[in-house]
Amino acid sequence: MTAVPTPPSRRRFLGGALGVAGAVAAGGAGFGVGEVVRRHPAEAAGPDRVPVYGPHQAGIATPAQDRLVFAAFDVTAADRSAVAALLGSWAAAAAQLTAGLPVGGGVDPQRPPLDTGEADGLPPARLTVTVGFGPSLFDHRFGLASRRPAALADLPALPGDALDAARTGGDLGVQACSDDPQVAFHVVRNFARLARGTAVLRWLQLGFGRTSTTSEAQSTPRNLMGFKDGTRNIKAEDAQALADHVWVGARTDQPWMTGGSYAVVRRIRMLVESWDTDSLADQERVFGRTKDTGAPLTGTAEFDQPDLAAKDAAGLPVIDPNAHIRLAAPETNGGQKLLRRGYSYTDGVDPATNLLDAGLFFIAYQQDPRRQFVPIQSRLGGTDNLNEYIRHTGSALFAMPPGLSGPGDWYGKPLFS
Amino acid sequence: MPLPSIRQLTVAAVALAMAGGLSACGSDSSDTPAGSASTTAGDPHTLNVTISAADGCASDRKTLDAGAVTVKITNRDATGVSEIELLSGERIIGEKENLPPGFSGNFTVEVGAGTYTLYCPGAATEKSPLTVTGAAASSADTSTDALLAAGTKQWGEYVETQVGYLVTGARALSTALKGTDLAAAQTAYKKARSYYEKIEPVAESFASGSQDLDADIDAREGDVPAARWRGFHRIEKGLFADKKLAGLATFGDGLVTNTKKLQALTTGLTYKPFELANGAQELLDEVSASKITGEEERYSHIDLLDVQSNVEGAEQAFADLQPGLAKIDPTLASTVSSQFTALNTLVGKYRSTTDPSGFRLYTTLTNDDKKALAAAVKAVQEPLSRVASKVTR
Repeated sequence: MTAVPTPPSRRRFLGGALGVAGAVAAGGAGFGVGEVVRRHPAEAAGPDRVPVYGPHQAGIATPAQDRLVFAAFDVTAADRSAVAALLGSWAAAAAQLTAGLPVGGGVDPQRPPLDTGEADGLPPARLTVTVGFGPSLFDHRFGLASRRPAALADLPALPGDALDAARTGGDLGVQACSDDPQVAFHVVRNFARLARGTAVLRWLQLGFGRTSTTSEAQSTPRNLMGFKDGTRNIKAEDAQALADHVWVGARTDQPWMTGGSYAVVRRIRMLVESWDTDSLADQERVFGRTKDTGAPLTGTAEFDQPDLAAKDAAGLPVIDPNAHIRLAAPETNGGQKLLRRGYSYTDGVDPATNLLDAGLFFIAYQQDPRRQFVPIQSRLGGTDNLNEYIRHTGSALFAMPPGLSGPGDWYGKPLFS
Repeated sequence: MPLPSIRQLTVAAVALAMAGGLSACGSDSSDTPAGSASTTAGDPHTLNVTISAADGCASDRKTLDAGAVTVKITNRDATGVSEIELLSGERIIGEKENLPPGFSGNFTVEVGAGTYTLYCPGAATEKSPLTVTGAAASSADTSTDALLAAGTKQWGEYVETQVGYLVTGARALSTALKGTDLAAAQTAYKKARSYYEKIEPVAESFASGSQDLDADIDAREGDVPAARWRGFHRIEKGLFADKKLAGLATFGDGLVTNTKKLQALTTGLTYKPFELANGAQELLDEVSASKITGEEERYSHIDLLDVQSNVEGAEQAFADLQPGLAKIDPTLASTVSSQFTALNTLVGKYRSTTDPSGFRLYTTLTNDDKKALAAAVKAVQEPLSRVASKVTR
């Protein structure tokens, strides 16, 4: 964009009404009501901005931001071209919003502003927008059945599932992450507005704090159980691990997914009040880590490699056979790993019990859920010590297509062409 | 629904069909991927426009011949632009919306000799002039104005008709409230309701200071101090919650007085096109705000009748604008129209012969039913919210 940069704060906009009127008069082209000049900050590159264009969608292997809004949509239109136009509008909006610009278009006093406005004047705060397609999008409605990747198989029923249908599934998924929660919310609100008549929100989840580290430059945050989990996550700097475990390679059955990834999202409620009454020793046994430093029980520092074979003086495993760290370890799962990008959430108080409805909104990116998430969760869901304290209450799967190549590209363009 | 509405809707439909014929040489292909639009270099009746981040709206010609002109637009890479308008003075004579980068579309308009402006809101270069040579301007602009003016007149007639029915219904209700037959009074309530809900925004516009005709006719319990509470919903509470006629006669008389007051205020009233658009929007807001939640008819549960009445009033206002709007923006006109059709189909699912309101009671709807209704209303409202700006300039 070549728009002249002027820092737009709300105060300035209100105080500048006279200036705007003057500008219209000076324009003198006979555009009475129609034209109000609106200026926006230049697209300054910098720590606040994550590029929206590239081989992979941002928001997967880019450093995890502090806040999340994740939304699933159901398509209501019967028309495939309406879905394509929506995805085109979302791509254009994502480009604008990640650059700190409003949803595009002119301003006309006679019609509602195209952008809802609550992010005006806010920096993007490393905003990323990641869009994907649920298995249900590939049903009979839009003629996409033959383009459904085998890896986008419906997730099977898994041990420990207590899924709420209203928090599960969706035709389209949108992950908005930013260090500013209002900026992330603004994305989903405007995407829902752009979708009116074509798709409706199915569910929405706010995440208030990241629980994962996707870059070596970040420290590992604690989850709501007070533990550092996901220490051994795949990091953005590890190109080999990304190629082996996260990005869909050239051998996919659906070339439109090459460079994409599959997101499994699970709303995992933690029974935090029960957890809080568990002894420290047992909490550490459940995870297989010390609570204080995050070190595995066989080590002294967080990033020490856990020794799953270590035995104590009595000949018992130091890391419990059903410890979370053991069951989730690549060594236990045939070398399989996930890129985790989860967030802590709370939805307030459970009205039935007055207990906190809080936990982990788990997001994992991977090459093939059939090889990665499903077997790992089948193992965890069966015997993980943690199961006593958690419930999987929501679930969804999305095929996240590759990144946008540039302006004019849109999510799934080759899929719809 | 009485005849006037049906007649007007038919007129609108014919006009729309004509507008469709005008642009039959290929309009509305917003889903076409970029690059597929063929270039007809040298055709003085075709304008190829490329929208780009660097140059804004760039067209391949600066002059065109008078007559039918097709504007073919491709948005190459301007993420801040999603629409283009062709202006004659300040009036939009043609437009294409929903054109994000990577999409193409076109529209066709009839132009006479003169100077026009291509306007791409939000583009690097927003405006560029166009000259049309040849035959003088037809009366296209004035006929659009005439169509819109005729529409506002029709709306005025519609309002007067509905208010007439409202007064009649209020009288019948008032009479029933003085009798002894509770069931008959309940039916009279249900019969009278719909006429007010069709034109409520007009009544709302007369609120000023302590005078609030809308509140006097339609306030719900708690909207106003208890001592001031009167009108339909006070009667509704007596009939459906208390199930007693005693004490209601005075409210019946008051309702007749206030509806007659409304009739005096609305008779001969004139409207501007944008007021119809905004009125339609307000009627649908009524649906979203208080009907979907079941708060409006909290004792009688005939909210679906109110929904249908709000929607009918909104669609009527839109239908009155539609012939004019179809000349300005046929795509928008047909989008709103088809979303109204979808909404009507959905509301129609709940018709019932067992209740005098003509609909199932709202308490029988599931949350999924309500969600679908809310989404269908929003699907009309979003495109409808753009109509006022189109018919204003």
